This record gives sequence, structure tokens and C-alpha cells, in this order.
Amino acid sequence: MTATADARRPGAGSAPQISDFHHYRQLTLELAISQFKLRYTQSVLGYVWSLLKPAMLFGVTYFIFVDLFKINDGTQFYGMQVLLGIVVWTFFAECTGSSMGAIAGSAGLIRKAYFPRSIVVIAASLSSLFTFLINMLIVFAIAVLLHQIDIGLRMLIVIPLLLELYVLALGLSLFLASLHVQFHDVGHLWDVLLQVLFYGSGVMFSLTYVLQRLHYALAVGVKTPSPPRLTWIIELMTANPITQIIEDLRHALLAPEAPWTELVVTGHLVADRQYAAVNAPWLLPVPFLVVIAIFICGSLIFRARARYFAENL
Amino acid sequence: MSDSSVAVRVDHLSKHFRIPLDRSATLKHRVTHWRSASRYRILDALLDVSFDVSNGEFIGIIGHNGSGKSTLLKILSRIYRPDEGRVVVNGKVSPFLELGVGFNPELTARENIFLSGAILGLGRTELHRVFDEIIGFAELEQFVDHKLKNFSSGMEVRLAFSLAIQAHAEILMMDEVLAVGDAAFQQKCLDIFNRYKREGRTIVLVTHSIEAVTTYCDRALLLDHGRLVGDGSAIDVTAQYRRAIGLHSGSSHLAAEVERRGSGDVVVTGMRMLDERGGEDANPLTGGFTRFELGYRIQNDAVSEFTCVLCIARGDGLIISESTLPVSQYAQVGVSQRGSGGTILYDIPQLPLLDGDYSATVELQGRRDGATFDRLEHAIRFHVIDKRARRGAIETGGVWSVVPNEQPAMWAAPPAATPEATPRERRPARRR
Repeated sequence: MTATADARRPGAGSAPQISDFHHYRQLTLELAISQFKLRYTQSVLGYVWSLLKPAMLFGVTYFIFVDLFKINDGTQFYGMQVLLGIVVWTFFAECTGSSMGAIAGSAGLIRKAYFPRSIVVIAASLSSLFTFLINMLIVFAIAVLLHQIDIGLRMLIVIPLLLELYVLALGLSLFLASLHVQFHDVGHLWDVLLQVLFYGSGVMFSLTYVLQRLHYALAVGVKTPSPPRLTWIIELMTANPITQIIEDLRHALLAPEAPWTELVVTGHLVADRQYAAVNAPWLLPVPFLVVIAIFICGSLIFRARARYFAENL
Repeated sequence: MSDSSVAVRVDHLSKHFRIPLDRSATLKHRVTHWRSASRYRILDALLDVSFDVSNGEFIGIIGHNGSGKSTLLKILSRIYRPDEGRVVVNGKVSPFLELGVGFNPELTARENIFLSGAILGLGRTELHRVFDEIIGFAELEQFVDHKLKNFSSGMEVRLAFSLAIQAHAEILMMDEVLAVGDAAFQQKCLDIFNRYKREGRTIVLVTHSIEAVTTYCDRALLLDHGRLVGDGSAIDVTAQYRRAIGLHSGSSHLAAEVERRGSGDVVVTGMRMLDERGGEDANPLTGGFTRFELGYRIQNDAVSEFTCVLCIARGDGLIISESTLPVSQYAQVGVSQRGSGGTILYDIPQLPLLDGDYSATVELQGRRDGATFDRLEHAIRFHVIDKRARRGAIETGGVWSVVPNEQPAMWAAPPAATPEATPRERRPARRR
């Protein structure tokens, strides 16, 4: 193997080979496994913590939105839908949050050994992914136990949806991690943005519910808030990939009677046409394009910055 | 790359660090101060460094703190990027700069072996195979499933080292490996170095241990403020380094803070050490020419003659030699007037002192009563450099020889041969 580092040819040093790839894949897994272990072996409650956090959030959300404000879209298991949304959201928030600090957190490693820097971020995100997958299994088990939901082929769509979610989280993590090396207050900024995103992602209310409210508003002729503005909110929400992922997961796993997000935005194929208030077929590819764009930008920025991590840390 | 015998080629390498002067590293600061360009100071960590390392060479990089040696090693290990120039590395490089990189105190020894082993490029199956060997070498059989945070630092280093030697790298980059561990561990390190040497691996070692460099390295590089100032045999370059650090700390001039006593009838006006070229030198070489030069002035007309005593002592106070010169015989002191003076020279053709700190004490005495006119305790402190870094205080000048077994040993044979004849029959076999 010959490695060349040349000031004039920046990319020349990174010519990965098969053995390298194997080595780095193993390193990623070892890092992810040890981080996963560390997260849950240092506390008394261990893994229970990772359940407790979404469970608490769910309890509060369910009480406020479902019990107190009677938000319900009429589908059968609305509580489960909220729980699913919260589990997905917890993964997204934790994955981006922990991966962002991964580079700074492994400063010792990065300053002392050479390997592709993205490994550290990927390992951190994988560690969050393990927790998330276990949580998803628990949610699914609860759903099966409580409601005997009908298992069907449409559930297979869960796999590409989870992949989409992971690619989104990883892309953002790479972007945030490279920013975090230089600006340590990115963490605070991201916390604030997460708050906004939480409400913009339909975590504790389903898109169906929002549409119903909109339809209702149109039907009874309520002038305020004005329908155009509501449509704009719906369009923005459906452009958000997190909304799309949560909604589609809900449809695939829990609420077959609710429509796919993709059908909502195109405004047709809904039996009683009650969702037809939004008709924006151009929105259909937007969530996927957003995911791809975020991932590509995140990777490119990370790639450009990664060369200087060791000296900037 | 064209030459397969070259393991590492460094070509006009430079590296600059931008040290920000604004302490704040926040986005908020950047946004609120967007108009003022961020100010920084440029530090030249390496400047136009070029050298080649051949395959199987054991090379040491030395230099004072901040001379850029660690930066150089990090660039060779691809952790840093060169700013200018080119670095070509032929062969698999050990990604380790230090021992125990990636160790996590919260994990057990077993888990750490797999994690840190992965950084070293060792596969899981392979680690399973050599696991017992690693634990055995580290002598940690009873602590395999204990958390690393409960280990003593010695245990941790042993574990790290046992793991590190399992790496298959052809080129090893090591930074201050010898700085940790007790004597027994250091010996283990050195044994491994020897093994690597026999196996023909290329080793680049950054260290402060001059002894390790002279013992193990074929070649040494000396860095000074980012520039390559020495490249040659380990013995020459370490000697150069020791002269360089010595010159920073001391001077061959009379030290200002010298303990001084005496009547002052005759005073020492100055004292210095010179080398064979007549240059001042506080770091003479073993076996080299050394001259002590001493100026005096007579302050009292009554003094007609005096004695100069020069005393050389080792750093710990042991007096190595004392030499006396009755001055009147040579300098016609009796004729001289008050205020006159002169220079006394003391030449050592081949300095017999070995590596270490020494001092010279000088005393001017009255010839008859031995009364002290002027005594300067440790007037000059100097550091002798032995290129071969031998232990001890003096070079006896002795000559080694070996008498083969066929000939009867001298003490066993009847003294038939004359004692003068024996040395001529010997075959001198000088040992280093």
C-alpha cells in the first residue's frame, strides 16, 4: 500500500483498498458496540433509561394532547400513533445530538491515530440506531399485544422508511459534527431548532388530524385562521421528511385506514375526499429530495473539513 | 515511489498552524463579529524538511520541545495534512502514535483489546487467536474482565504494549513510547525494538531519550524550530543535540553568581573554556582538546609569587582532579608591579571526562603560607559530551585486547617472555 499526502493534491492520501474497507467496517462496529455498552452499563437502570425517556415524553404528550385537548383523528389507536412518533423523534434528536459531539468527544483518538474521521460519527449514530430499533420492536410488540393489528405486506415499507430516517439523521450528524469542531455553540443552536422541528414534524398529532381540522375549517366556513395560510402550513409540514417518515410508519404499522402521506399531498384516492383540501402533487418528491440533499451536503462538508479535525480539536 | 528501497520520502515538507488570537470559538462570536476578520498568528511547525527513510531503517527524531518532531510524526501517520511539499509512505503504517490509544477506562481489559485492536487493524478472529498471548505477555491473566479504570497505570501500559506489538505494520511510528513504564517495562520495549530490527521493519521513533536513540537507531534527525538541522548517524546527531541544549543553558564564561572568598591580594579577572579552534565551549567532547584560560591581576605589591590551583569536580561534588601551578617561576611575578596581571592557561590535550556535568573551581594561594587570595567555587560549570554516551566519570585510556585460548594465559604461563614483549604479540581488538 502506498499512501501519498500531497499539499497540491488534497485527495491523494485517501485511496481506500479492500483490506482498508474491511478494517474500517470492523472499527466502526467495535466503536458503536462499545459506545452502546458504555451508555447502558454505567447506570443502575441501564437500558431502562432509553425507554424511560420516550415513555415520559409520551405520558406527558398523551395527557395534554389526547386527554386534555381531545386531539384525535378518529383512527383506532391514536395513542399508539403518538408513541410511535415519539420513539422516532427521540431517535432523531439523540442521534444528531450525540453524533454532533462525537468528533470532539473522541479528540484523543483523532489526534493519535489515523482512520477516516466519519467512522466516529457513523459509530455514534449506529449506537443510537441500536437503541431505536429495540424501542421500535417494543412499540410493535405493544401494538400487537394490545390491539391485534393486522400484519400485512404493507409493513415491508418500514425497511426503506427506516433507511430514509437513518440517512437523514446521518447526513445531519455529519454536517453538525463538522460545524461543532469549530463552533462549540452549535449544540445550543441545534437544541433550539429541534424544539421548532418537534412541533413541525407532527410528532404528537398526526397529519391526518391537521387535515381534518383544515377540512373542518373549510367546511364550516371559518374565516380565521384563513384557509390559504393553513394550506401553507400543511405543505411545509409534508415537505419535512420527518413528518413523512412518521406518517408513513404510522400507516404501515398502526393505522391502515389513514392515507400515505404521498396520497395526502396529491389530494386524491381518499374515499370520502375529506382530505382533498391540499392538492400539491409537486410536494410528492420533496421529502426524499430533502433527505438526499442533506446527506450529500453533510458528507461533502464533512469530507472537506475532516482533514483539519486533528489540528483544530 | 520509484525507489522500492525507500520506505518514507519527505520532500520539502512544511506545516503551518494558525493560532487564533480570539479566544472565543463560537458561532455567536463569528456572527456578531462578522466584519472583523478573525485574527491569528501563524506558527511554522515545520519548514522545508526533506529526508528519506530506507526500508528496515530505525530512525530517531530528536529535538527540544516544540521543535516540530511530533508534528512531523503526525504528518507521516497521515493525522495532519502537509501544507507544502510531499510525503510518500510505502508500506502499511501502524496507526499508533502512542500506546493505549482508544482505551476506555469504563470498559474491561477484554473489551478494550477488541476496541483498540480494531484501531490497530486487527480482525476479531485474529484477536481471538492471539488473545491469550496478549494477556499473557501483559501478565494480566487475573484481570481480564476487570474494568480498565481499576488498573494501575503500569498494568494499563503493559496491556497497551502487548496489544500494540501485535500490529502487522511494516512501518512503525512511535512517539515517546519510552516515557512511560518502569525499568522492566522499558527493557521489554527495547527487546521488542530489537526484534523489529531483526525483522527488518522500519521504525520512526520520536523520543527525548538520547540513550535509546544512540543504542537503537541507525540514524537520527535533529529538528530545531521546525527546521531539519541534523541528519546523520545517531551518535553524531545526538552529540550535536546535546551540544545544542547545553549551549542554551550555560556559558563558558565566568558565572556571575559565583561563591567567592579570599583576601583579594591577587584576583581572578576572568575564566573561560576553549576548544581546539580557540572558540568558547561549555560543552567539550570527551577526548577532545580543552583549554582553561584564566586571567589574574595582582592587587598588592607585597605579593611576589603565588600558586594557582585548578580543581575539576563532578556535578555531585566528587573531585576528579586537582592541578597546581606555582606562578612566579614562569611569569616573573616578583618583578611586576601592583595592578599588573596575566593569563594562565591549562590545556588538556584529550579530555578524559565522560558524559556529565562538571565544574572547575579555581583558587589563587600565597606560596609560603597557603593563604587564600581568591577562591572561586565552581567558577565554570560545563557539560562534557561523550559521543558514545558511556557511563562513568573518566575515560581511562585503557586498551582492550583479546588473547586467544591456544596461547597460555599470561598468569598461567611461566614468566619466560619478557613483560615488554607481550604487548607486541597481542592483537589489539578495540571494542566500542
